[in-house]
Amino acid sequence: MSLKSIGLGLLASTVIAGGAHAATLDIAIDSSPAGLDPHLITAFNSVVIVQGNIYEALTAIDRDLNVVPGLAESWDVSEDGLTYTFHLREGVTFHDGSEMTAEDVAASIRRVQSETVASPLASRVSPITGIEVVDPQTVRFTLDAPFAPILSSLSSIAIVPAEMEEDVDSLQQTPVGTGPFHFEDWQPNGYIALSSFEDYHEDGQPLLEGVRFNFVPESATRQVGVVSGDYGLLPGIDPATALQLQGQPGVTVQETRDLSYTLVGMNVTREPFDDPAVREAFNLALDRQEIIDGALFGAGVPAGPLSPALTSWALDPSEYSCYGADPEAARAMLEEAGVALPVQLTMNVLPRQDARDIAQIVQQQAAEAGFEIELINQEIGQFVQDWRNSNFDLFVSANGGSPDPDEYFYRTFYGGGSTNVFGYADAEIDAWLDEGRSETDQGARKAIYDQVQRKLACEGPIAHVAYGSLFTAVNDAVEGFEIYPNGRLTSLVDVEIAE
Amino acid sequence: MSSRFLVTRLIDLAVVLFGVSIVVFLMIRLIPGDAVAIMLGANTEITPERIAELERRVGLDQPILIQYFNWFTGLFRGDLGTSIWTGRPVAAEIAANIWPTFELTFLSVLVGAGLSIPLGAFMAQARGKGAEVAVRIGAIAGLTIPSFWLGIVSIFLLSKLLPGFSALGYVPFTEDPLGNLQRMILPVIALSLPMLANLSRLVRSAMLDALGQDYIRTAKAKGASKRRLVYRHAMRNALIPFITSVGVATGYLLGGAIVVEQVFAIPGLGRLVLGAIAERNYPLVQATILVMTSAFVIVNFLVDLLYAVIDPRVSRR
Amino acid sequence: MMEFIRKNKLLTFALGFVAIQVLLAIFAPVVALHDPYAQVMVERMKGPNLTNWLGTDQLGRDVLARILFGYQVSLMTCVTAVGLALVAGGTLGMLAAFYGGWLDRVLMRVMDVLFAFPIMLLAIGVIAVLGPNVWSAAIAIAIVYTPIFARLLRGPALVICESEYVMGARAIGASDGRIVFLHLLPNLASVILVQTSLLLSAAILVEASLSFLGLGAQPPVPSLGLMLSEGRNFLLLSPWPAIFAGFAILFLSFGFNLLGDALRDTLDPRLKNAS
Repeated sequence: MSLKSIGLGLLASTVIAGGAHAATLDIAIDSSPAGLDPHLITAFNSVVIVQGNIYEALTAIDRDLNVVPGLAESWDVSEDGLTYTFHLREGVTFHDGSEMTAEDVAASIRRVQSETVASPLASRVSPITGIEVVDPQTVRFTLDAPFAPILSSLSSIAIVPAEMEEDVDSLQQTPVGTGPFHFEDWQPNGYIALSSFEDYHEDGQPLLEGVRFNFVPESATRQVGVVSGDYGLLPGIDPATALQLQGQPGVTVQETRDLSYTLVGMNVTREPFDDPAVREAFNLALDRQEIIDGALFGAGVPAGPLSPALTSWALDPSEYSCYGADPEAARAMLEEAGVALPVQLTMNVLPRQDARDIAQIVQQQAAEAGFEIELINQEIGQFVQDWRNSNFDLFVSANGGSPDPDEYFYRTFYGGGSTNVFGYADAEIDAWLDEGRSETDQGARKAIYDQVQRKLACEGPIAHVAYGSLFTAVNDAVEGFEIYPNGRLTSLVDVEIAE
Repeated sequence: MSSRFLVTRLIDLAVVLFGVSIVVFLMIRLIPGDAVAIMLGANTEITPERIAELERRVGLDQPILIQYFNWFTGLFRGDLGTSIWTGRPVAAEIAANIWPTFELTFLSVLVGAGLSIPLGAFMAQARGKGAEVAVRIGAIAGLTIPSFWLGIVSIFLLSKLLPGFSALGYVPFTEDPLGNLQRMILPVIALSLPMLANLSRLVRSAMLDALGQDYIRTAKAKGASKRRLVYRHAMRNALIPFITSVGVATGYLLGGAIVVEQVFAIPGLGRLVLGAIAERNYPLVQATILVMTSAFVIVNFLVDLLYAVIDPRVSRR
Repeated sequence: MMEFIRKNKLLTFALGFVAIQVLLAIFAPVVALHDPYAQVMVERMKGPNLTNWLGTDQLGRDVLARILFGYQVSLMTCVTAVGLALVAGGTLGMLAAFYGGWLDRVLMRVMDVLFAFPIMLLAIGVIAVLGPNVWSAAIAIAIVYTPIFARLLRGPALVICESEYVMGARAIGASDGRIVFLHLLPNLASVILVQTSLLLSAAILVEASLSFLGLGAQPPVPSLGLMLSEGRNFLLLSPWPAIFAGFAILFLSFGFNLLGDALRDTLDPRLKNAS
């Protein structure tokens, strides 16, 4: 009783104290990033803070996943598809006050390509073999071969000041970009604070005075926080959290189709998955809708190799013959392939609630077809290590997607591709993928990737499970936020907080 | 107290810290996956040469003995190392996270130890009565209630009962004293409850012991003020175990309260080291654990010294 | 018998409380009405009802069945852990006391090193090395508790070793083993009994905390800590699994703690005199 009155007294004091910070948006994410260098740290909790807020790129991705102008106002592509000329926006300054010119753009691309910086983003710009500064507002890239996805790839390459080209340390702690917010303060384990950049090139933006990314590891705490208004925004929440917050007063949950997807990977260098028929049988044994209902609370769609968010590319999963959810047929197929049932397998599980739930349901479903799966729940370090060393029979994981099919397919399914940990090698697929990346005609590319999708869906090394929904919970005091399918907080420039 | 006693204890202390440094150093390196693998995560496209370059940059390419030697000699130069990706001095990261831990420790010990004396005395005097059994069972429940459960449930209840009451996160006391204390209420309850339960039982036994002594019975028969006598005798009796318990609890609390910090989003040492383990930030893990264990060992050393002052026989042992 | 119960009401109650839970754990396969692993999607996240007395979890599994099997998992983990710690720590502590000198100093410093680590951190480190599962959790808890038993038993063992009758036994040439088993162990029995019970109670909480951080038992194993940990993600939708699992942990830990407390009162002769 007395505790309650003390509480009310304290409450009054918070309200008064709260008024002064009204124009700062508090965002809660689960953990602090390992660093802020946009060319080095590519994990979600880093990207969500820096990309689009502190840094911008030559191109940008809009809500419908189209490539739109960013720091480049416009661009010309040569007939042969080998030369790209970018015309830069005028009057753009970095947070340190210097002007952004073609030199900075050239230096940023070189920085990503440099062996000493060792950026994990390098492969996205590896087709660029020539970088030429035409004049301070114009930069020209030459490619070794036509590479259709380059414009979308460039949207993920942050432009940094030219003097950072050789510097591998400074940007980790103190980022300098051209974005609407500049870096202010980093309290380890507490928060990262950004404040609005007065010389931002779009007049009148951003509307907020600042943004604060609070690190809140406990999901239950984040949920309570967004309901109570301690936090204005929870980006990238899981379906279970979204479902719970949907019913709460004072909170709106925004939803969009996610580019990322959950999958079961198969090691094709080991028995029995070296046989395409067994991979097909595994696909046949899965009831994707049941998995979605169970593990993702209905928030998702059965997955083929490409996300339905890529409306101009993806085939409808109903086109795949092996998506029958028919364990009996799967068992028959296995027996025909000469597999002695039940076949004993292990499955590594990514340490995430949705992956764990998916694994438990897949285990039950596959058992009906004769796969006896033991789940191995791993700590993330072990999971990554086993993944990189192809040390698994099966694994359940989640991958971020990309706007262009080539980015995902080429590295994952091409023989010897850099993330082809499955040991998959198929001459037909390799030929199609080579064709697909050098073809620039959209219609012809689509025809090629249709073939690829059909083949990979059933006998590829990955059983694509589901494309989930991407959710962001927004407290009702926050106005103007719009969710983007790539998970970026691009719309923060338009956000206001109601008094 | 004899200087020989002091010297022996100091040598022990140094030996223990040296042992800790070796255990920490080896343990964190035995965990699968290094900082580079964790930073890249699964499904990142990268060449082995670039991975090697990243490992070189964070010093993982050196032989393990050299790594230990460099770290250990650095300690004597007052250099705790630098955080693996941000390059920030580890000392600065620890400094930024140590105040919440200090404050939580101080308040929890204050509440837990402070309330334990009257509660323990009450239990002893009401021995065998219904009230004592109730308090005693309550004390045990306080000791055995899972703190994360208590934390989460209380956050949920609070958000229902007092919407708008900010109980999450941490605000420095110097910035907003009321906001600071208000955010400390729930975590301090969660942390002091087990201590209160433990210490009050200790006080209870000491009191019962005192009540059973012949001279108290004699004094009581003579009509002396029983309460004063019992308190004085029991307190003297309970002092050493009481101080030990408070010392151990303080030492552990200074090591951070991982689960409570996690639930209430408090940026203390526990979360610092948990995050550092998760990202395999070897220098940060090593230094933070060394700081925590030093705090623990030093607090216990001070407790030992205190004994020697209270009871000179100890130092002659 | 009745006399004992009348004199030791608290102890009897504690014994009964613990015994019920242990029996439920042992006979879980007989007592449980449902398969703790069976998923019934249409029935998920239901509150308590006639079919599922304590409701169902996020995958439609019966909460009561999972709690009963969860008792089994928690008890097995913690009894193994505390048992290992008792054997290891007790042996080290008595060796140190019995032989003294350099062995004593070295052993006790090693114990000090382990003791100086924050409990949860040492356990987290050990599990991170071994990989997260039930047995790693048991080994981690055993390592954390070894120095506690070592320190705890060394003190009283030292006193007994220096006592006249042990000195006497040594003088007439009794073997070391004989002294340990005939003199040392029986005299330490009450300390061991009380502390084992109290540490079991604490171990149950540590195991639950580890599971809460995702480092103990792993899905789909029914474990109390894991149920609580998974359940807390669904608190607003269906608080039942988290609430019941929380109470189960509390009851189990409470039972052993009360038992330890009651045993201490009963076995400690000094407290008997108090009026």
